[in-house]
Amino acid sequence: MNRQSSTGPRPAIAELNGVSKFYGPVMALNDVTLRLQPGITGLVGPNGAGKSTLIRLLTGQLRPGLGKVRVCGRDAWRAAAKAHIGYCADADAFYEEMSGRQFVRLMARFHGLFGATARKRCEDVLEEVGMADRADRPLAGYSKGMRQRIKLAQALLHDPDLLVLDEPLNGVDPLGRIELLKQLTEIAGRGKAVLVSSHILDEMDRLAQRVLFLCRGRLIASGTLAEVRDMLDDHPLKVCVACNAPRALAARLALHETVHGIQMQGGDRLILQVRPPKEFFPMFSELACQEDFEIRRLEILDASTEAVFDYLMQATHPAAESRRVSAMQPAADR
Amino acid sequence: MTTALAVVQMMLTAVRRMIWSRQTMISLLLLALVSLGCIAWSLRGERDAGDFLQQVLLPMYVAFLLPISCLGFATVGIAGDREEGTLVYLLSTPLPRPLIYTAKFAAALLLALVWSLGGLWVLGTAGGPAGREAVAVAWPAALLATLAYVGLFQWFGAVFRRATIMALGYALFLEVFLGNMPGIIKRVAITFYTQCILFEAAAPLGLPPSGPHSAAIFQPIAGSTAQMILILLAAGFFVLGAVCFSRREYP
Repeated sequence: MNRQSSTGPRPAIAELNGVSKFYGPVMALNDVTLRLQPGITGLVGPNGAGKSTLIRLLTGQLRPGLGKVRVCGRDAWRAAAKAHIGYCADADAFYEEMSGRQFVRLMARFHGLFGATARKRCEDVLEEVGMADRADRPLAGYSKGMRQRIKLAQALLHDPDLLVLDEPLNGVDPLGRIELLKQLTEIAGRGKAVLVSSHILDEMDRLAQRVLFLCRGRLIASGTLAEVRDMLDDHPLKVCVACNAPRALAARLALHETVHGIQMQGGDRLILQVRPPKEFFPMFSELACQEDFEIRRLEILDASTEAVFDYLMQATHPAAESRRVSAMQPAADR
Repeated sequence: MTTALAVVQMMLTAVRRMIWSRQTMISLLLLALVSLGCIAWSLRGERDAGDFLQQVLLPMYVAFLLPISCLGFATVGIAGDREEGTLVYLLSTPLPRPLIYTAKFAAALLLALVWSLGGLWVLGTAGGPAGREAVAVAWPAALLATLAYVGLFQWFGAVFRRATIMALGYALFLEVFLGNMPGIIKRVAITFYTQCILFEAAAPLGLPPSGPHSAAIFQPIAGSTAQMILILLAAGFFVLGAVCFSRREYP
């Protein structure tokens, strides 16, 4: 892999250029262009948006109908690219008769690691995913969370530059999720690109530095959450403010053109609709200091992945919004 | 070097998993049933090797047991991983797809050869002296037929989602039905070439016989030609399968 100086532009570990993918007459991906750089990138979209297709293209399981998919400069379909890719598939399939340790060792051998190197690497990754002390049990008896960890371990074996995780948090208990998210952050910190597809949008807020929003095979938005939120001009940012004199603050804010709506929320709270946020926040700080308001709370209400996702769905297909709740997994899963 | 070791490891893993598979149990059961038939046959008076070939090996082994055993091992190599969802692990390794196919082919061939030649030996032993004499003549034909069947059925595994069902349909319809049709239509069946090799090798034992397998009706080709065709079929199916497996998407 060509490594570039950290002072230059960030290198793209994986690239999709004008990629379209057809399943017979169905267009699963439509002219998608993106670059994955070191760090964690979230992949979000409703069912049928093309997330799995995009992941399979990136991991060389599928070939694009049009366009090119490259990982570390190599065609993702080719075997040479696979040495740079770690893939944690969503399918819950293993060689069930093996133990977790046997399975990971076998995968190490398939990746060309043998002898002491393979043993050490296996123990390292099992330790990393928190399975070193439980890996001798048969895979058939593992919980969903343990199976996810073993899948992650086999994906990390060959120290890939691109780690692709399809719904890695499915079935993992809350404590396990926190540990997994921490591990992914550490992996990304080592200069790896991590692509995570998940329907658990709350966790994307904490995890992903960048988010790709897919809908009906099209990449409808990408960037940091703040960047994507800023692009949504039709939806003023909702800001919750709690202060000692809410009525007085509301009267002062009403004079500013960046404030498009004010709603009293009882007690000491105001819900503001502001646009553009970049002009609002400096003005608000200045006002609060000058007028001596005691600001007890300042919170953006709709800049989460979930809120941005909702707005994007409304923008791209209004009817889709009403179906979104049913398209995503039940709230109990989150 | 590490690539070669990885391919060998993949082959050994496939062998280990196939040995303890449902296919082995089914093949074992069928072999046991046919062996019982052989024992019963051998108890019925004076029989010679020609009789054993004609009455036991041709209908029970060549036309039935051999293709069924081969399809069990050859289709499960890739189709089994597809059905279980574990193929993604193999396709995520940095091994070129033709090598993955080769590893699976080698595993299936190894087991199918052990099974077909071992099964032939068991049947010969069960058939008594006549059976043992017939086996000494029949094993080259069984060996070449196994090569061709494994090549064919492994290709089925690479191409069809339900490869075992497709292969069963092929074995029971094309091999049994068309393979016993009069005229040259039977030449589409691997069984035909296996029988041609057998007939030439067993000529001193009185084959080809009279009746439905008489030379006039069966119209055999030369044994050496049949051998060459089976070798070419095996090689051709292997290459075809490797190409299909290398190009095909397995979503």
